Amino acid sequence: MKEIDARGLACPGPVLQTKVAIEEESLRDIKIIVDNEAAKQNVCRFLESKGFEASAEEDRGNFYVMGKRGEDVSFQKAKEQKEEAEQKKIMVMVATDRLGHGNDELGLKLMISFITTLKEMGLELWRLVFVNNGVKLTIEGSKVLPVLGEYEKEGLHILVCGTCLTYFDLLDKKRVGETTNMLDIVTAMQLADKVINI
Amino acid sequence: MGLERADDAGVYKVTDDIAIIQTVDFFTPIVDDPYWFGQIAAANALSDVYAMGGVPKTAMNLVAFPLDDMDMSILREIMQGGLDKMKEADVVLVGGHSVKDKELKYGLSVTGFVHPDHIFTKNDLKDGDQLILTKPLGTGIINTAIKGGLASNEVIERITGIMAALNREAAEAMKSVSPTLSGNNSVHACTDITGFGLLGHLAEMVVDSGLGVRLLADKIPVLSETFKYAGMGLVPAGAKKNMEFREAMVEFSPSVDDLLKDILFDPQTSGGLLICVDKEKADELVDELRKRGVETRAIIGEVSSQYAERILVD
Repeated sequence: MKEIDARGLACPGPVLQTKVAIEEESLRDIKIIVDNEAAKQNVCRFLESKGFEASAEEDRGNFYVMGKRGEDVSFQKAKEQKEEAEQKKIMVMVATDRLGHGNDELGLKLMISFITTLKEMGLELWRLVFVNNGVKLTIEGSKVLPVLGEYEKEGLHILVCGTCLTYFDLLDKKRVGETTNMLDIVTAMQLADKVINI
Repeated sequence: MGLERADDAGVYKVTDDIAIIQTVDFFTPIVDDPYWFGQIAAANALSDVYAMGGVPKTAMNLVAFPLDDMDMSILREIMQGGLDKMKEADVVLVGGHSVKDKELKYGLSVTGFVHPDHIFTKNDLKDGDQLILTKPLGTGIINTAIKGGLASNEVIERITGIMAALNREAAEAMKSVSPTLSGNNSVHACTDITGFGLLGHLAEMVVDSGLGVRLLADKIPVLSETFKYAGMGLVPAGAKKNMEFREAMVEFSPSVDDLLKDILFDPQTSGGLLICVDKEKADELVDELRKRGVETRAIIGEVSSQYAERILVD
């Protein structure tokens, strides 16, 4: 069992030492000795936040904090799930097939560049929603179709407004994304950490 | 101002119209970026003058610098940050003093002016007064997470901006709703939230006042992420010390989260103003804060004769 003597250290020193220790190697058991109540509480909290069961005993002014955790596999999974939950969710809503106002030709060029560059948001890009004229980017012949196809393959949810496709009579020309309704869009807005409107 | 009761700064009456306020504050770096550390240290030092209703006029740099281990360019950046903050506050830098030290420290001594009849002290609370806080809590805990390499860049950026923000606009708003130069001030007390945490500073206001305070836990603005880091045990030792010192004055209702208790005692760096304002004027003050671009302007509780010299967190 790994043992850390963190006596004499002020908070958050003991927590940081514990952090280093459990990050260095995959431990099942760890023991940390601290000399004050505050450090005991903080170390217990930290261990619990990392999937350990924590307990502490006091002996002559010293606190012995014990951390135990079960199978590493389940821990890893819990960690991944937690990380997924903590990942920021960005929703991009595109309501036009031209970026900005002014010259249409330039607007289209900018839109292609915008859609292509969106991938730089990485995993935080969570939903890409097309409404109104934006749905025209998802139909046969659209210049960004290959890029959108790539995104979809990589797991990005692309939502396309059904009412809008119907209105433009493009329902059967759509080549990428799921047809969606306003309730889904509103719900996604509510869940997202950030909504970007184009 | 005597020394019997703690206040934010020293005040000396020069004439019937002018008193000078003097204060000094300096500390070790809290963010890695030297320029922003300079800004934060300066904003923090100037804050005491604002909390008393004064206008800072001149300042001197205080520097402790490890000449042997650190490049002078770092010091230049820190001082540039401080200077830019002083310019923003219309404060003139008139000098300073530096020493060689193992640990880097920076701050200011500040002199400001105030009308002797228009000084906002910490302890003139009145029954029914509303308490307004002008910056969110959590900087101590988040700074601890930064030291532990656990805070995201986004969080660092956000709290850096908050800590570097002057309390000037909040002070101006406070003065504008309480313009009377004698007698009927509608703002009865003010302090800035720093090392003792919200409850520590509030306890100083309540002591010997004969009155108490009821805080509404869910109205208190807390920086997002603070709960997460507090839950990971990244609570600075100062928070626990503050709690031990003032615990006896505070009663938490059973619904209050343990993590929030730590946050309410969390030492703040360059925290906001805690303004105690007449009930009738509270909305006007909130509106004035909004007009002046003060983002946080939360009514977090009220003064009450029901809890004599105690603080209830509900």
